[in-house]
Amino acid sequence: MLLAPPLGLLILLFLKEEQKFLIRAVSLVSAGITLGLAIFTFVTYDKALGGLQFVEKYEWVKTFGITYFVGVEGLNAPLLLLTGIVIFTGVLTMWELQERVKEYFIWMLALVTGVFGVFMSYDMFFFFLFYEIAVVPMYILILVWGSTRKEYAAMKLTLYLMAGSGLIIPGILLLYSTSGLYTFNMLQLHAAHFSPWIQKVAFIMLFFGFGVLAAVWPFHTWSPVGHVAAPTAVSMLHAGVLMKLGSFAILRVAMFLCPEGFQYWAQLMALLATTGIVYGVFVGLAQTDLKYVIGYSSVSHMGIVCLGLATGTVDGLNGSVFQMFAHGIMTALFFSSVGYIYDRTHTRDIHELGGFSKIMPVASAFFITAALCGAGVPGMASFWAELLVFIATFKVFPVQALLAIAALVVGALFALRVVQNSFFNAPNPKFVHFEDVSPFLGLPRMILIGALFLFGFFPQFMVSMIKTSVVPFLQGM
Amino acid sequence: MGSLDCPFLVCLLIVALPLLSFAVIMIFTVNRPKLSLAISLTCSTIPMLLAWGLFYLLRATTMAKPLITQVNWLVSDTVVVPFGFLLDPVSLLMVALVATISWLIQIYSIGYMGGDPGFARYYADLSLFAMSMLSLVISSGMLQLFVSWELVGLSSYLLIGFWYEKFSASEAGKKAFVVTRFGDIGFFMGLVFLTYFMKDINFFGLGIADINGVAIASKLTGPQITLCALLIFCGVCGKSAQFPIHVWLPDAMEGPTPVSALLHSATMVAAGVYLLTRIFPFFAASATAMSVVLVIATITLLLSSTIGMVARDIKQVWAYSTVSQLGFMAMGLAAAALGGGTMFAGYYHLTTHAAFKALLFLCAGVFIHHFGTNDFFVMSKDGGRKLAIPMVTVVIGALALSGIFPFSGFFSKEAILGQLWHLDNKLWVALGLFGAFLTAYYTFRVIFVLLFPRPDDHPVWGTYYVREAGGHGHASPGHEEAHEEEAHGASGHTTGHGHEEHHGVPWVMSFPLLVLAGFTLVLGFLQAPLEKFLLGESHPHEMNYLLLILAVGAALSGIGLAWLDWGAKNATWQGFIKKTPALENFFIQKWYMDHFWRWFLNTFIYGMFSKWFTYNDRRVVDGGVDAVAFSTIGSGRLLSFIQTAFLQYNLLFMVLVLAGVGIYLLMGR
Amino acid sequence: MLLFNQLQTYLYLALVLFAIGLYGVLARRNLIAVLISVELILNAASINFMAFNRFLAPHPAVGQVITLFIMAVAAAEAAIALSIIIAVYRKLKSVNIEQATELRG
Repeated sequence: MLLAPPLGLLILLFLKEEQKFLIRAVSLVSAGITLGLAIFTFVTYDKALGGLQFVEKYEWVKTFGITYFVGVEGLNAPLLLLTGIVIFTGVLTMWELQERVKEYFIWMLALVTGVFGVFMSYDMFFFFLFYEIAVVPMYILILVWGSTRKEYAAMKLTLYLMAGSGLIIPGILLLYSTSGLYTFNMLQLHAAHFSPWIQKVAFIMLFFGFGVLAAVWPFHTWSPVGHVAAPTAVSMLHAGVLMKLGSFAILRVAMFLCPEGFQYWAQLMALLATTGIVYGVFVGLAQTDLKYVIGYSSVSHMGIVCLGLATGTVDGLNGSVFQMFAHGIMTALFFSSVGYIYDRTHTRDIHELGGFSKIMPVASAFFITAALCGAGVPGMASFWAELLVFIATFKVFPVQALLAIAALVVGALFALRVVQNSFFNAPNPKFVHFEDVSPFLGLPRMILIGALFLFGFFPQFMVSMIKTSVVPFLQGM
Repeated sequence: MGSLDCPFLVCLLIVALPLLSFAVIMIFTVNRPKLSLAISLTCSTIPMLLAWGLFYLLRATTMAKPLITQVNWLVSDTVVVPFGFLLDPVSLLMVALVATISWLIQIYSIGYMGGDPGFARYYADLSLFAMSMLSLVISSGMLQLFVSWELVGLSSYLLIGFWYEKFSASEAGKKAFVVTRFGDIGFFMGLVFLTYFMKDINFFGLGIADINGVAIASKLTGPQITLCALLIFCGVCGKSAQFPIHVWLPDAMEGPTPVSALLHSATMVAAGVYLLTRIFPFFAASATAMSVVLVIATITLLLSSTIGMVARDIKQVWAYSTVSQLGFMAMGLAAAALGGGTMFAGYYHLTTHAAFKALLFLCAGVFIHHFGTNDFFVMSKDGGRKLAIPMVTVVIGALALSGIFPFSGFFSKEAILGQLWHLDNKLWVALGLFGAFLTAYYTFRVIFVLLFPRPDDHPVWGTYYVREAGGHGHASPGHEEAHEEEAHGASGHTTGHGHEEHHGVPWVMSFPLLVLAGFTLVLGFLQAPLEKFLLGESHPHEMNYLLLILAVGAALSGIGLAWLDWGAKNATWQGFIKKTPALENFFIQKWYMDHFWRWFLNTFIYGMFSKWFTYNDRRVVDGGVDAVAFSTIGSGRLLSFIQTAFLQYNLLFMVLVLAGVGIYLLMGR
Repeated sequence: MLLFNQLQTYLYLALVLFAIGLYGVLARRNLIAVLISVELILNAASINFMAFNRFLAPHPAVGQVITLFIMAVAAAEAAIALSIIIAVYRKLKSVNIEQATELRG
């Protein structure tokens, strides 16, 4: 699975810029293979057996204990599926791209390689390597193909994430050097018991370092700006998948290796997460740019993810990973439909738009579905995730849970305000002549909606999968 | 119990068919009205038949022991969400009722919505509503109920905002969703607390039967139950439009009238009261909670009746009447809990009300459809009384609403007043009677205006319009606008087949009226069998003649007063309330509740938190980040002054450093 | 003991050459002169190699090989440096090092 995007990338390198169709086809096929493999792993993963499956392991640099070690378990399988879906739909969404097509798809596939690598690596060195591979193409993608203050946004995003990396490297090296094992293998490091002091220091460094990417309050300001500037599919990948890297890394590295550090800082995590949830919806309420609105809703939803992590209970982690998945699909859908509308109208101001249900019923239906999902309407995946997180949180941090639940009202207000302003009311005569989404371009959005509903009606598929590794994970702590 | 047996499959079918219809219409046939209609009708007829079949077959068995079948929907660690069906008399009757009413509405809508561009979408939304409401009624666990509860809210949002081009409609939809969401959050918190408490006694999954059993066996402490009950009651308040979050319901009349009939009178708003009856033992275990319910319900009853007295939009009148009747039901239930009675009275009023209020709305729909206006004064002027069937049925409905023998409302109201009578404090029964009086008054205000139109040059029109022009605040301009737009929205389809307008009422619209009128007439006499069915035994119905006389007296005096004000030959068409203008204005402004919420939203949500947080985000958080970036650039600039660009200085420096290092190494030896 | 048969003599020679070269690199303002001084430094290094090779190394050929290497590298370096100097001259119409201050902060 890790190989498909780089292979496609290699083929793309040899194609000419003029062969646009071929370029797209190659990217689509490699994304399709990725998706197929992700589904395959998700379905064939043996839940009864649990643990790591589909393992690949090669020694790389023996002296430093670096191993190429990838595998799939219940925690990352949903995220692999998510990435597969988002990249596939992302390629389809950008089908209409005309400018520098080849470079665009090359960078996008590079990004995805990094993302897959992070999700699957069990070696800290490779984990970090892939992490950087995933982050760097973002700069170029936003800078070249972006809009609205793209230089500023790209620079801000990159510097922010680099600053995060500046905390991550010392954290990783601290763990590496104090373990005395001379290995980057996370499973082995897990067995080494670090002294509480080391754990506390390393955890907080890793938490803030990865937290930047997960848009933990108050390190979130890069994300709305970045979303706004990025081209559609990049926003999809960015909000849908990349932000999950941060939260997943907190779970996989920080919590896994420093359980005592986690317990020490859990209060702080919950506090920041709740602040993010409440803060995100209120700030989103005041925005007028569609993408800013979505950006702040992401801040809020990622807060729910972190809140789930902070509980450190089975329910909380289940909910948290589920929410990563659900939010990824949901934001991808959001950006995908906004992108379609923006490509036509060249505006995202919610006061200028209006009555789009009349002009583009299908495109609007996609957006409205996403908005309702964001407002936590049942029948869609994120409802269950939020339910699990809130119930779990209540047992550990009752006050934070009640605040977060109360924020749901504002969340609903905020989602519906956008929907009403831009999709209902009388149509703006400026835009009446635009055509609706064609069935082909509607396909990726349908896939996303299908995923939302599938796991909305049958949450057990997802939860039973996540649970296979959450339970041993917590026992290990 | 077998995990998947026959009733389970039937229930599943009842719930799944409308959902299927929703999905199919939305995805495939949204541009083909005829086909969509066929799908939707099929998918509502079968559940209705199945529901009655269940009712018939299981009525004997479930009386002894409720039938629960469930499977696990979601199993996390301590959170278990079962999916299943609870069949007992309460749910069996309700599911049959809901299925029937939604089937009737679908039939009616063929006429009402015919030719509308969103016809297929309309039926899809109706199907979604049917699915969620049916699932709500027969769900076996609180969490499943909550899921359906939210879906009901969603479909109501979609249906209220159905004519989304209208600002008022989309605004009303948003308001309805957010306001009910406000209550639902309370509900959800209640459930969260409940899971937390139940965990201690090993009850996962929050089965309805379980929590009732727990409450009866008092395994939870009193404060725990009170807390949960009050929080869950927040949800009831939202959905059943109780004070102070009733404000969404009158605005919800922006939706198509059949929707108002289906959702906002008969079924959806009744969900709240239904929930009260569903976990009645649980609520009854907390006297404190029930006292709060009683107070809130009474406030609701009086508030909405008084507003109903001054409203001019026929749908607004029925909407406020719905709010008041819901308050009345909740009063009945609360009183029953406090006075040791049963939930029968409230539930009975719920069923009768469902029938006659749906009837009233559908009649209103016929008038609106016919005359293209919501203002019943204009309807009256345009000859509303010439439509025979709706006119007769609206009178039947009105009589039932006012509680006049032998219509169904009489029996159910009397049952509730009986419960109130049992309370020690007689204030409540007095207030209940006063509410009945007001109800009769505003109901017959509409009826008399419709029945006895004044000629165009009659002086009352003059005073009427003068009063209008005199302007009573901000409400009326908005009101007028709403009328116009409603007329506009309706004209979208009336123009489509205008030829029908003068050929009376199409049969698809009058048929449901007749059926519902039949229900209204019959249900009253089924009190004893129903009670036996629901409770297992029929209490000997001791007739409280004093109360009976009082109740009928209240209703009749209300009608009498309405006759003096609106009906009689020399009536002035000015309510008695006109004599105290301050009070009238207060009512017209809807007790200023809308203003209050708007102020609250603007000041606190938008004005305070949103603004402050945004400012903080721009200036403090983001500003801090930018400051770090700029200071980095600045410091780089400072350091760059050292760089003289004179090559040989650099070289000299290098040599000196190297020499220094060399000396250091040598000395180190 | 003959003067030219001693290691120290060559080391001093190399030191003197290196010092002259270093002085030239640091003090001359003419780029050509700087280049010549660099060559002097390289030669100093070569002499060192040859001297150590003659007196101390077990294998007699290593130092010579490296010296040959240095000559080749010096030739290449001189070519590149001259071309840079010519480029600088074309741009600034001067080979004075004080003129080349575009990188001033």
